[in-house]
Amino acid sequence: MRRTRTIVAAASTITLALTLAACGSDGDPTDSEANGSAEVEPADITLWLNGSDTNEDLRTYLIDTFAAENEGSTLSIEEQDWSDVVPKLTTALPDAANTPDVVEIGNTQAATFTYAGAFREISPELYEELGGDNLLPSFVEAGAVDDKKFALPYYFGSRYMFYRADIWEEAGIEVPTTLEEFGDAVAELRTDDRSGFALGGQDWRNGISWVFANGGELAVKEGDQWVSTLSDPNTVAGLEQWQGVYESASNLPPTHTDEAYWDYFNDPEEGGEPEAATIMAPSWARWSIGDLVENDEGDMVRDGMVDDSTYDIFALPGVDGGVAPVFAGGSNLAVSAQSQHPELAENLLRIIYSEEYQTMLAEVGLGPANTEHTSVMATDKFGETAVAAAEASQLTPAAPGWAAVEGASVYEELFQKIAEGGDVTEIAAEYDEKITPMLNGQAG
Amino acid sequence: MATTTTKSVGPDDIAIRRRRKPATPYILLIPAVAALLIGLGYPVYWQVVTSLQEYGLLQQFGAPPVFVGLDNFARVFTDSEVWFVVAKSVAFCLVNAALTVGIGLGLAVLMRAVHSWVRITMQITLLLAWATPLVAAVTVFRWLFDYRTGVVNWLLVQVGADGMGGYNWLGQAWTFFLVASFVVIWMSVPFVAMSIYAGLTQVSEEVLEAARIDGAGPRQILWQIIMPLVRPVIAIVLLLQIIWDLRVFAQIRLLQDAGAPISETNLLGNYIYQLGMGQQSFGGAAAVSLFVLVLTMVLSGPYVRYLMKEDAA
Repeated sequence: MRRTRTIVAAASTITLALTLAACGSDGDPTDSEANGSAEVEPADITLWLNGSDTNEDLRTYLIDTFAAENEGSTLSIEEQDWSDVVPKLTTALPDAANTPDVVEIGNTQAATFTYAGAFREISPELYEELGGDNLLPSFVEAGAVDDKKFALPYYFGSRYMFYRADIWEEAGIEVPTTLEEFGDAVAELRTDDRSGFALGGQDWRNGISWVFANGGELAVKEGDQWVSTLSDPNTVAGLEQWQGVYESASNLPPTHTDEAYWDYFNDPEEGGEPEAATIMAPSWARWSIGDLVENDEGDMVRDGMVDDSTYDIFALPGVDGGVAPVFAGGSNLAVSAQSQHPELAENLLRIIYSEEYQTMLAEVGLGPANTEHTSVMATDKFGETAVAAAEASQLTPAAPGWAAVEGASVYEELFQKIAEGGDVTEIAAEYDEKITPMLNGQAG
Repeated sequence: MATTTTKSVGPDDIAIRRRRKPATPYILLIPAVAALLIGLGYPVYWQVVTSLQEYGLLQQFGAPPVFVGLDNFARVFTDSEVWFVVAKSVAFCLVNAALTVGIGLGLAVLMRAVHSWVRITMQITLLLAWATPLVAAVTVFRWLFDYRTGVVNWLLVQVGADGMGGYNWLGQAWTFFLVASFVVIWMSVPFVAMSIYAGLTQVSEEVLEAARIDGAGPRQILWQIIMPLVRPVIAIVLLLQIIWDLRVFAQIRLLQDAGAPISETNLLGNYIYQLGMGQQSFGGAAAVSLFVLVLTMVLSGPYVRYLMKEDAA
């Protein structure tokens, strides 16, 4: 029975293949960057961008400008998927032969890689040249160890509220001016078939706005150790307020995460009523919202909220009025420590942080790294609201282990348990214990 | 070989045969052995080394790894969550492997019994299910069980179960695993059914005729004659199913993406991925992986031994 033997062999092969290949790399860690010569050898450098936020025009500008300013050298842009940025960078960056030269990384992931030594230091002179103190401070901090800068802000997006003006008006409800009023308004708008405010239970990225608004912190640095501070009275107050809003206004299950909320918010294509009166989303969500129209290519697309008597926006109000500090989305840029062409990589940074490119970013609605250029954005209500929300926004803790907390979906679970109606004080204490060792890089 | 020499039986002949040890079989073995050593030996070696080190993101970026002995194992195996994941994985694997082989066997016997055009329809249907890419299959099941727009909830409401309107199947661990089992079984039954059916076609008509002449009924023929004859095939597909179902990863992960309690629904593959790639604890992930290797050998050991015995016979 030869067949049997072959299959046994195949079976044992599969058994062995079960084991995850250890992602070891014993690549030579010595610095290849100490090259003081003024003459830069022409080469092809690679830039990794995540998702399609950097549009074709911006990419073409970078490629053309880089080629024009660096004779003989070229720039290749490779697009990565946001969902597996961390594994990709973990395996590619230490490999001197294959590392991209410049990478985009999520602002909340920047700290982890910065501490690990994945990036080349941005010298104080270069930092000044690229914008210095005008660069978005919270993002700079996420990519810095003490005074040394490693990853700089690329762009920011901020979150605000999209609401169905028609539904709100029909119910006779005004745009709220405090966070509590907001909670009451969306609770009133909720029916069996419609969320007053569509919010998934696991959606912590929106949820932490309530923590920030109540003056709470997720974690603080005590001495040289990070400590999770969910049990802080202000944090607990924020989480409890969020729990109240979720329970009274959202029909979405506690296991749902931040998703395409606009699917609930737009008029359904098959007719009928929308399933949400309000959603919270990053500013670019606008292009997924509105009435269906045909574009130049003949595809049906949303018109970007042309009809403002149906679709409108406001910034999430703060506890005592004003604008609530929401979670600042966005990303950082860094040069790989293993880059074989650091001078060319730095030349690329000079192009990206030039006034021209920063203006281009602002014009397409991506918050520019250099805060001098945000005024370019604030020309309509979308830009004004985005800038107002961004100015008040906050980031997740710049702890070395924050990417591990995200990687293990700990916050998804924390918010899910709160959404399921658990006792916030107890849950907070339980997760403080779990998160503190992870923040300091002692992942288990 | 030397056919002429076999006629005489002298001491010289034996000497000649000993001298003529053919090298060709060994040379032919080299590519396979080399492929095994490079493809499997090296990763397993790394796995063992990494599991004995503190190896995280810092080490990945050049810091020298610290040898910590069995620390990773001690830490991982004193964690009650790991044992919970192991228990879930073993239960999931055994239940699904048993159901898959049971259903596959049933379909194979059915295919043997029905008219040929029914059988061909069945085979085409099974092949289509088998050919469906995994991501597409999981997506279809996600849609079927969607709490808002899923067909399953709609059908349940139509037959009178009003409470099932908007029921979130993926929201609780046990209904999550129910849906996951549907996907896993649906995707692997075709292979089992086809393999066993192929085995059934090898049962010779003479044997069955002899049984009939001896007065055996259809039931007796099935259980006393056919089943023992296809037992080796059943044993092999069961072994493969156990191994495959223990290492499920993508099905669980894709279902989790639809919104599920993540740590409660993690199986071993997902847990290792989360530990290694999510939390960058490569040492801990390597330790759990080695444990899975041992677990697979323990679970499949009896079958491999049984197959070896069959092979030798």
